[in-house]
Amino acid sequence: MTDLLEEEILKSGASVVGFANVKEILDDEIAHLDRAVSLGVDRNLNEDTIRILGSLQKKTSHYLKKKGYRYLCIPPDSDRIKDTFVSKLYPLFTHKIAATSAGIGWIGRNGLLINPVYGPRISLATVLTNAPLNVGTPIEFSQCGDCRMCLEFCPSKAITGKDWSRKEPFVELVNLDNCSSYKKNSKSINGKPNCGLCISICPYGRRNLKDNSDQSRVNA
Amino acid sequence: MPEDKKEILEALKNAVIQYDEDASKEAAQKALDSGMDVNDAIFNGLVTGMEEVGRLFETQEYFVPELLMCADALYAGLDLLKPHAKQLDLGVKGSVVIGTVEGDVHDIGKNIVKMMFDVAGFTVYDLGRDVPLNKFVEEQMKTDSDLVCLSAMMTTTMVGMKKVIEDMKAKNPNVKIMIGGAPVSQDIADKWGADGYAKDANNALKDAINMVSSLKKMKENAEAKKV
Repeated sequence: MTDLLEEEILKSGASVVGFANVKEILDDEIAHLDRAVSLGVDRNLNEDTIRILGSLQKKTSHYLKKKGYRYLCIPPDSDRIKDTFVSKLYPLFTHKIAATSAGIGWIGRNGLLINPVYGPRISLATVLTNAPLNVGTPIEFSQCGDCRMCLEFCPSKAITGKDWSRKEPFVELVNLDNCSSYKKNSKSINGKPNCGLCISICPYGRRNLKDNSDQSRVNA
Repeated sequence: MPEDKKEILEALKNAVIQYDEDASKEAAQKALDSGMDVNDAIFNGLVTGMEEVGRLFETQEYFVPELLMCADALYAGLDLLKPHAKQLDLGVKGSVVIGTVEGDVHDIGKNIVKMMFDVAGFTVYDLGRDVPLNKFVEEQMKTDSDLVCLSAMMTTTMVGMKKVIEDMKAKNPNVKIMIGGAPVSQDIADKWGADGYAKDANNALKDAINMVSSLKKMKENAEAKKV
């Protein structure tokens, strides 16, 4: 079932998909949904991305439902419509935990999920389920190595330079006050709240990005 | 077309039980298109489904996420149907002040009870969560509501209910007060002088209808005596 589901999801446009056992970290309310399907697309988070992730979640949940399993869709972080009942449960779970547990990537120095192929340039969504899916191998440690580019280029000096590992999930990787005050500042100057340097500077997946744009030029 | 009608009711019910928002919207639209009684669609379709969900929740077949998704599916259909519904005549038209008491931010249960009141055509004044205790009394006086519903999830915040009940009864002995939430029990309701205790949303609605109708009767009797 896992392979079929994976194939289906990839065919529907996901860049990465992984399955994780998240039994250990679930709150009581959702404790019966101990498998996570982590979905990622290599796109900036914008409206189209949210739509794509939404349809991927729907595909996944329909598949699981047809097989008679339970599910709970956790939408992308910026698409949490506040006035539904089920949205109360969204804060109980983070996409990054699902993704690292599924072996999709690790948490980089910039505090973002890093996938070996796409780097931090993926947007995530999660579907929790009680279906007994075969799970991937969790990634235990950061694989950023000696690279400190995001740290050096960060305009707000928010990145602390510490290493993430699964054993210490709450180490402060990014000083959120610095980061958000910088973003607030830049919004007042140029109207854009986004900085994103730590994403664009990350060497992981940059080559892939270039290949893609070359490809599109050839196609054009 | 009684066959059609039956099918639509079944579709509405199943959409809620299967927590399928799209199916709920679709069935609600079909109900509107067929020209059937909208109130019938709400009560014998959507609400029947929610009652079954309540049963599944009680027997631990469903858990909190399913319950919440079912409630969302119910609202998806209800939003379409409600503008076309006739003013409901349940024998009573009540108004209710509802909220989760000070210090407590757990409002899932409160929202589900609110939904049941919404569906039943009550006028609902929702104060939200973490509501300062005196706000309940103020709001009741302002809106002259028949009923006040208090919710708490924690034993530490539950005690706030006692104070609200005392204040409320001192200001307006005729108002009915119902309490609910995980740590609350019938014993506590009796001890603190609440008029009702609801184990779940279905019971809350049933009790509320009874309380409001007894209140109306009381008022009528009082009027009759005056004349």
